[in-house]
Amino acid sequence: MLEIKNLHVSIEEEQKEILRGLDLKVGPGEVHAIMGPNGSGKSTLASVLAGRDGYEVTEGSISFDGDDLLELEADERAREGLFLAFQYPVELPGVSMSNFLKQAVSSVREHRGLDALSAGDFLKLMKEKAALVHLDPALKARAVNEGFSGGEKKRNEIFQLAMLDPKLAILDETDSGLDIDALRIVADGVNTLRSSDRSFVVITHYQRLLDYIVPDVVHVLVDGKIVLSGDKSLALKLEEHGYDWIRDESALPAS
Amino acid sequence: MTMTTDSVQSVPEEQKTDEALMVQEFDARYGLMPSGEEDFWTASRRTAIKAFAEVGFPSRRTEAYKYTPVTKWLKNNLASSTEKSATSLADTFNDIDGYHYRTTDGQLLDRDAPKLPEGLSIGTLQEMRSSDSSFLETYLSRAIVLERDPFAALASAFADDGIFIRVEKGIHVDQPVVIHHNTLTVGGLAQPRMLIIVEEDASLNVVEHFPEVPAGSSFENRVAEVFIGEKAKMDHVLVFERNEHSSFVNGLFVHQGAESNFKTDTITLGGGLVRNNLNFLPDAEECETHLNGLYVARGSAHIDNHTLVDHAKPNCFSNELFKGIVTDSATGVFNGKVLVRQDAQKTNAYQSSKSIVLDRSAQIYAKPELEIYADDVKCSHGATTGELDEEALFYLRSRGIPEKAARLMLLEAFARDVVDLVDNEAVKQYLYERLHHLLSS
Repeated sequence: MLEIKNLHVSIEEEQKEILRGLDLKVGPGEVHAIMGPNGSGKSTLASVLAGRDGYEVTEGSISFDGDDLLELEADERAREGLFLAFQYPVELPGVSMSNFLKQAVSSVREHRGLDALSAGDFLKLMKEKAALVHLDPALKARAVNEGFSGGEKKRNEIFQLAMLDPKLAILDETDSGLDIDALRIVADGVNTLRSSDRSFVVITHYQRLLDYIVPDVVHVLVDGKIVLSGDKSLALKLEEHGYDWIRDESALPAS
Repeated sequence: MTMTTDSVQSVPEEQKTDEALMVQEFDARYGLMPSGEEDFWTASRRTAIKAFAEVGFPSRRTEAYKYTPVTKWLKNNLASSTEKSATSLADTFNDIDGYHYRTTDGQLLDRDAPKLPEGLSIGTLQEMRSSDSSFLETYLSRAIVLERDPFAALASAFADDGIFIRVEKGIHVDQPVVIHHNTLTVGGLAQPRMLIIVEEDASLNVVEHFPEVPAGSSFENRVAEVFIGEKAKMDHVLVFERNEHSSFVNGLFVHQGAESNFKTDTITLGGGLVRNNLNFLPDAEECETHLNGLYVARGSAHIDNHTLVDHAKPNCFSNELFKGIVTDSATGVFNGKVLVRQDAQKTNAYQSSKSIVLDRSAQIYAKPELEIYADDVKCSHGATTGELDEEALFYLRSRGIPEKAARLMLLEAFARDVVDLVDNEAVKQYLYERLHHLLSS
């Protein structure tokens, strides 16, 4: 599904290398967690995958379902089935949820050769998917994320994920700023959306989220590289001991 | 500089200033010196041309016109034109429910006018002058400070007639008065005039449309005076869509009585040069004034919104929102002044101007001015100018929406803020469609 080889990425304006030879392979239906200390490059990875401007790939490759991901624009990637749940969802005053989702869903469906949804079917789909994350269906009249609480914004990301039916979803610190109840709702939504043809990359700073979204593989990202991979028990070990022991073990210079 | 007939005559034709030419034109048509008996109308015209001659056309050094050198556009149109082109208007505002009127260069057409409800009268200024001259005298030119506005002075001096609308005390007009403005003045200067009086406890909605006219340059310098009586209410929408060769100076002067409410939505979607001079004088307590504006400047258009809210009395409220989208090599200007005089305690005055610049060669000048002499007031202003929000654009694209469609969505959302404030549903829907079309290209 996703194969990243020797990825080197700099921030264009700063000429500073953030990712320094990252390798990652995610198979269909798998859930991979990426953990790491602040500044290790987690969000940069999410941004580069989604096609955000401002990053320069200096070396390496990313293949997504057989395509060269780096050759695709951000919107093409989304239509091909890649989804990013934002760490900080953007408020769009004046853009209603229903118009936004209508345009997004129809762009994606058209690209995938599916018929356009009738107004009735679209509303039905919205209602069904909103229920997954306990979002009030009345939100369709509201502007995207405007006036949404922190929890609503994160649930809205998972709602959009459900609407767009991607092959690969990247959750960028979806747990940040959530209380335990909201966290559970978001995780339940994600678990319902898990399937044999949908993969997840779950980026998180804390182990807490992984109690609810149980990953197949846990990777530890330090200084722009994956230095250790293991099963879900690795996350627990990180929670208990922090990240320093990994730096010692992998003989990386402490930064 | 004072202009007299003598000095005008002594200067050779080709060296005369534009002002001198205008004064000479006035003299030829109406005479600069009083001749025997004359009514207030003629006297007020002379006052106006004198005020104009004193002040003159604004230059680059005139602060109020620093970014808008109107005279550059005016040059081509100064000769009072006799050339008329016969045109018909494709008028999209025909279907709006309301009392429809058509004008050509400010003169009312359609003498088989719609049947009006009792208490609403619509006619010409000259008709009013014949039937009730003293009533007209009470209002005409009273809302204009001639010395402050040379264009209003010029229009007041030259307009031979104009539209007169009166709503009598206690009358609530059920449907909007829809005015379709045409111009047939190609290569010349048209100076339409309008006077609206909404008496005590009455209400009126007015929709003005300046649709696109076939190619040809025109310069329309209009002056509109509005008097809102005590506890009266008026809602005004103006949509300007002339072609890129058109110039428009839009002088609106609003005088408000106690507890009155006035709202204008001034929407500028066309024109080569547009200067909206919007002046509000809430001249008694408990007035409410709402000024909203939206403009889209494309090509080499120059669109300037110049507003003044002059809070003279206590306990009034004003709210101002202007938004602009400037693309290609167009220019947008916003100069909004809120003046709170010493007596105007407990004034609440808010102003916001926001603009988006889409091209490197496009320009925006924004100058909000708050001038406050009272000490117990709530006032605020904010002005932002920027490009389209990259983060918002990325968010839309990350959901599969192509870049072009995403840009359009954001621009429409930006403009929607102002269009949403238009009360007339048909006009609102029309504007959504027009903006969609304008912003997609």
